[in-house]
Amino acid sequence: MEKSLDPRIARLNIQRNEEGTPPIGKHEYGVSYEVFVQSKRGKQHVHAGTVHASDPSMALIFAKEQFGRRQHCVNMWVVATTEIFSFQYADSDMFETVPEKIHREPGGYKVRDKIDAYRKKIAQQKTDKS
Amino acid sequence: MNKEAAKELMLKMADDALIYGHRLSEWTGIGPILEEDIAFSSISQDKVGHAWQLYQLLEVDFGTPNPDQMGFERKENEYKCSRLNEFYTRDYAFALIRHFFMDHAEFIRYSLLRASSYEALAQLAKKVRGEIKYHVLHADTWIKKLGTATEESHSRMQAALNEAFPYALGIFEPGPFEQELIDSGIFIGEEQLRAEWLDEIRPLIEESGLQLPSTTNAEMGGRSGYHSDDLAPLLEEMSEVVRSDPEASW
Amino acid sequence: MYGGGYIPGQENEKPDQFQEDPIKLKEFEDRITRGEKIEPHDWMPREYRKQLIRMIEQHAHSEIIGALPEGTWITRAPGFRRKMALIAKVQDEVGHGQLLYNAAETLGKSREEMMADLLSGKSKYSNVFNYPAKTWADVAVIGFLIDAAAIVNQVANSKGSYGPYCRALERICYEESFHLKQGHDAFVALATGTQKQRAMLQDAVNRWYRPIIHFFGPPDVASVHSDKLMRWKVKMMSNDAMRNQFLSSYVPKVRELGIDFPDPNLRKNADGTWSFSDPDWDEFKRVIKGDGPCNKERLAVRKWVETEHRWIREALFNPNAKYTLPLS
Repeated sequence: MEKSLDPRIARLNIQRNEEGTPPIGKHEYGVSYEVFVQSKRGKQHVHAGTVHASDPSMALIFAKEQFGRRQHCVNMWVVATTEIFSFQYADSDMFETVPEKIHREPGGYKVRDKIDAYRKKIAQQKTDKS
Repeated sequence: MNKEAAKELMLKMADDALIYGHRLSEWTGIGPILEEDIAFSSISQDKVGHAWQLYQLLEVDFGTPNPDQMGFERKENEYKCSRLNEFYTRDYAFALIRHFFMDHAEFIRYSLLRASSYEALAQLAKKVRGEIKYHVLHADTWIKKLGTATEESHSRMQAALNEAFPYALGIFEPGPFEQELIDSGIFIGEEQLRAEWLDEIRPLIEESGLQLPSTTNAEMGGRSGYHSDDLAPLLEEMSEVVRSDPEASW
Repeated sequence: MYGGGYIPGQENEKPDQFQEDPIKLKEFEDRITRGEKIEPHDWMPREYRKQLIRMIEQHAHSEIIGALPEGTWITRAPGFRRKMALIAKVQDEVGHGQLLYNAAETLGKSREEMMADLLSGKSKYSNVFNYPAKTWADVAVIGFLIDAAAIVNQVANSKGSYGPYCRALERICYEESFHLKQGHDAFVALATGTQKQRAMLQDAVNRWYRPIIHFFGPPDVASVHSDKLMRWKVKMMSNDAMRNQFLSSYVPKVRELGIDFPDPNLRKNADGTWSFSDPDWDEFKRVIKGDGPCNKERLAVRKWVETEHRWIREALFNPNAKYTLPLS
């Protein structure tokens, strides 16, 4: 191969190979692990992305640098993607009426009007008596 | 404080970190697995960063030239790096074995330096040690895997180990101020460091299905400025742009 | 960085004639019109999946191949600051590649298949990386101007419809803003430096000018405009619109340093668009077909990585491992 301008590449002494492509084996680049990062003590671990690795110990050392080299982080989890279970997006209508369930929300309980009406009534009763 | 002793110690640490970090950076963009390429590049930056911090401390406390001048403009025999770090390799097994030997030595060295009587160095050591903890974890994970996985990976790792070990012993080449460093509490000395290093790596080597060679002949010379054939071309390359225009700032 | 840029084949191909289920198709298109994202296990038209795989995959290839021209100067970077910054930057490119391969994989093509297609020449990467980084100044030009061009592309695409690609691009755009700052810093250091440095910089700008114009692809009139890809928010902005945005932002930044482009016809028109000399689209076609200065080297390096380190992957990875597509 013509000498590379990159001295690192030139030192590799690559013999240029015009014939075909090297075959790449199945799962040669590993399987995927999902990475969860905890930015500070007290916070949740949050999904940050995926690494390919052969096993959890490799996944951890890879995840640290791919997902922890810029953001501040105190802890990380890795989980094999095969161990993650989820709902289907097609069934997201199961979640649709959630905002309507005000019986579970603080905003679903308004007592001010009732209190004011009651106090008005009591005050009126006192006035009527006297 | 014995200034000459402290300066000598820090200079060899800085030179080790710079030359080693430089060799690691040769893999950025061409690593064997994408995720590993990324991890190795972080280790490379950490090392170069440690060198930079050490040269900065040398300038502040000992009036040496600025870090860029120290790192990029000295003559070959002025560098005090150990020969292990100088070697060029295109063999990832050698790169990993060197990483294993070097980072265990550095981890113990910086751990010991946290108790140094030289306060500024002790502070630096506390900071740096955390980064090297990851380097050691990375190295251990890899050699345990490759040492035991396949016949080929095992024999490559063993061959690399056999080649690197005598030079790894050269990391602990005693300097001219060993006794002064010990007496003044700056550092516990290379002999003690080597003993702790051997204790630490022996079980890990065994766990990795590998064997340390029985010979204990150390390949030395780096600490007194006598280097392998690989250093001069490295320095020439590293300083190529800097030398192309000495008046310039980049 | 290196955000994809234009790679021929997407727009000029005959669209898939397969008839999709009209109800599902309408639901899908309505979701996109509402501004919602499509996620990996959603129903999607075959063509959407195919075009997205190709786009994201080729963007990923552009990142890892793009690591090679700037990597040329890692061992020679002048001084600690530049040395560390360049290692970090090239590391980011490899990291972007990793994020993008994962995003493409969610659509059903494995990383192994993508790499095989890159090495065989079937999948392409951004043409700009088939040119050599001849001097240190090239690093500054690539880091400043090509990153800037990539950012225009990436910011536009980050508003696209496919969830995993958008999430990857969000992080990529954030890291690119560091690259741009760093690139501009190196560029300014040369432009405001010695005569030798200025000359080196101007020479680099002269050599990279045409590849940068080519980066965004042929003029809109020359390519078959794909309404469907725009409607599906796969293609977010036209080639000319992106090129004009880039030129408007960056030509003044270069000229304010007393550096210029080797094109007397490069100027902004009254309507905000830019005119420039014909950048020779035949050269572009020749280079992307394989006849550029660095094509063979770029692929030879990736082939070396693949073959030389096969022993490591064979030691680590199990072809019978339990596997499922990444989720996001």
